[in-house]
Amino acid sequence: MSAVPVTALPRPVRERRAEAAPLEVVATRTQRRARPRAVYAIVGVLGVFGILLAQLMLSIVLSEGAYRITALEAQQLELDRSAQSLGERLNVLDSAQNLAANAESLGMVVSATTPTFLLLSDGSVQGTPRPAGSAGGILEGRDTHVGNVLLSDVPLVTLTTAGGGESVTETGVATPPSSSGSLPSASGGIPSPDTR
Amino acid sequence: MSVDRRTRRRLAASVLVLIVVLGGFLIRLVDIQVVRADQLSQESEARRSIPTTLFGARGDIVDANGVELADTVYRYDITVSPRFVADYTLKDEATGERTQHTVAEALEGIASVTGGDAAQMLATIQDELALDPEDDHAYLVRRVTTEQFQAVRALRIPWVYFDRVAARTYPNGQIAGNLVGFLGTDGPQTGLEYRLNDCLDATNGSATYERGADGVKLPGTTVVQEEPVDGGTLHLTIDSDVQWFTQQTIAEQAIAIGADWATGWVVRVSDGHIIAAADWPTVDPNNVDGTDPDNLGSRSFSEPFEPGSVFKAMTFAALLDAGVTTPGEQIIAPGRYPTIAGYSITDAWAHDDLRLTTTGVLMRSSNTGTSVLSSRLSADERHDYLEAFGIGQETAVDFLGESSGRLRDADSIDGHGTLTQMFGQGVTATSAQIASAYQALANGGVRKPLTLVTGCEHPDGSVTHVPSTEGERAVSEDAADTTIAMLESVATDGAIANLISIPGYRVAAKTGTAEVAENGRYTDERIISVAGVAPADDPQFVVVVTYGKPDTMKTSATAAPTFRAIMTQVLKTFRVAPSTEPAPRLPTTW
Repeated sequence: MSAVPVTALPRPVRERRAEAAPLEVVATRTQRRARPRAVYAIVGVLGVFGILLAQLMLSIVLSEGAYRITALEAQQLELDRSAQSLGERLNVLDSAQNLAANAESLGMVVSATTPTFLLLSDGSVQGTPRPAGSAGGILEGRDTHVGNVLLSDVPLVTLTTAGGGESVTETGVATPPSSSGSLPSASGGIPSPDTR
Repeated sequence: MSVDRRTRRRLAASVLVLIVVLGGFLIRLVDIQVVRADQLSQESEARRSIPTTLFGARGDIVDANGVELADTVYRYDITVSPRFVADYTLKDEATGERTQHTVAEALEGIASVTGGDAAQMLATIQDELALDPEDDHAYLVRRVTTEQFQAVRALRIPWVYFDRVAARTYPNGQIAGNLVGFLGTDGPQTGLEYRLNDCLDATNGSATYERGADGVKLPGTTVVQEEPVDGGTLHLTIDSDVQWFTQQTIAEQAIAIGADWATGWVVRVSDGHIIAAADWPTVDPNNVDGTDPDNLGSRSFSEPFEPGSVFKAMTFAALLDAGVTTPGEQIIAPGRYPTIAGYSITDAWAHDDLRLTTTGVLMRSSNTGTSVLSSRLSADERHDYLEAFGIGQETAVDFLGESSGRLRDADSIDGHGTLTQMFGQGVTATSAQIASAYQALANGGVRKPLTLVTGCEHPDGSVTHVPSTEGERAVSEDAADTTIAMLESVATDGAIANLISIPGYRVAAKTGTAEVAENGRYTDERIISVAGVAPADDPQFVVVVTYGKPDTMKTSATAAPTFRAIMTQVLKTFRVAPSTEPAPRLPTTW
């Protein structure tokens, strides 16, 4: 007897509760606060992806920099090579043999045996001026005896505008300076100026 | 209860497993990080990092004005990997077009750029492969220039590689080639390159870098173990322009008179610096094979000869210093001056007694007159004076293979030799010693150390190999100056005065025509020389010109024009002011 009502009674109550006002356990504020929110997860995941992406970009930039450095270094090497090879060439062209031969080929003349000086202080001429001949180059047409195999394939410079240049050099040396009064005649020994 | 225990057991088991696993890791960690750390890191380094040598450049040799006499440049060896030699396809980067190339084409291309022989190259490759089919290295062409290297590289042959090698070039060729020396394949061979290698030589460094699979250097991985140190720059006293002129001038005359060899020297009086030290024939260091091995060094330093009468300048300075004569003393120069039994001294020309002053004896270069005067000095004094002028000792230059010549002392010389020694016979000296002795005469009797190298400038700015500037007095200032005045008579009144005088300048010089002894006998071969200074009133430069064994014209008149040409060039180059007073014209006869 007693068992029937006991088992029968609570059932309608439960059904009624479910049907009428469903109740939930309301979390306390602290509980709510403690609960992880989706936004954090999203931020976290995005952050991780962001970091990974940044790292990827950084490494791309870095490796691109490495390629650029390599390329620039290669360029520098190439420029160094050019500089060295041009410098080497210049040094050869700069050699005294080459300068002398070219000066001669261009018709430059020199008074090789009579050094003469013009004193700026009083305008007097020291030494015995003598015009250099038309063939008065430092080699005067003689062969060069100071060899340099590096010059074997270097052609002599030749005048391209022939007329003008030559006439200038000729008039330049053809006029002997006239004021040689301070110099004694060469008759008695080496000509040298008297005491002034 | 039973649940609790089970949980605890499970917990204990997992902790145990954890400890075992962690312990395993720990042991492995210690093993890797501590026990095998070195070995492993070496292995990994070796797998990724590439060791490289950082080459330092050998120092330059420059003249007094910085003109490069020896320069380090880079050359390229073109090498191949024989096992990869095959036809290949090239893709044009711009058009994307692909072209086929054969091995023969490639080798022809290299040969046309470098001037080699394509067939020879192919043979080299085949020989290497025959020896070892896996061969990875063979030289095709060695030491090509940068331009040639760039042209070959432009061919883009996949199995061709390039090695950069340092090479030496001498832009001025034979100018100072006798002094500079040269490098061979095994390093410095002679000259300053050899003697001062400790200045010029570079110290190579080392570094490693890591590279990725594509061969690109990883940034920031270069580790320099040792920085390379470039060699020092060797500064010489030589003026390359004057050196050129001197070499050119002595060569012209030497060829004209058929001389075996010639030397020409220019030394600055005030400090003993060698402005030019020319030898003919001389080496072009760029082309060592084109020169006779006898001419590879510097004859001026290494080959002493009997100099003859140029020695008399020292003798007369000694006589004046000792106070046994004066420039105007009147003496008789006999035709023959007997010395010891059976021996006598004569002059180059036959004459009776000559009434000469001491100046006249020097100007006429009388051996008998010189003997009359020198016999007033003891044998020891004669030796000591010549020694004070540097005869019989190496110069301060200490050049490679330098000879000290031979000056016999009073104990080892006979009564004849002790007198002939005073006019340069039976005694030998190098051109360097003669130039140094004349420097002393011109410098008021103080002989400055002959200097060729002013220092070695290292990349860090320090300078080593600085020579001493301490002079040594040979004779008194008065004796030296008077000797110079007496030597002026050669240029004013001597037989070759018109060949040796320079208008506007007072020149003091002495000629020498020495007999060459062969097998103990004097032959008709001669060594002719002129040594002198200008301007005599304020000596600035010493010039010494010597010709060995000329075939034609065996008198000092052949050396005089060269002396004048070189001295004139030197006076012009260094803007030496002309003399202001005429020469003293000391009396020579009575």
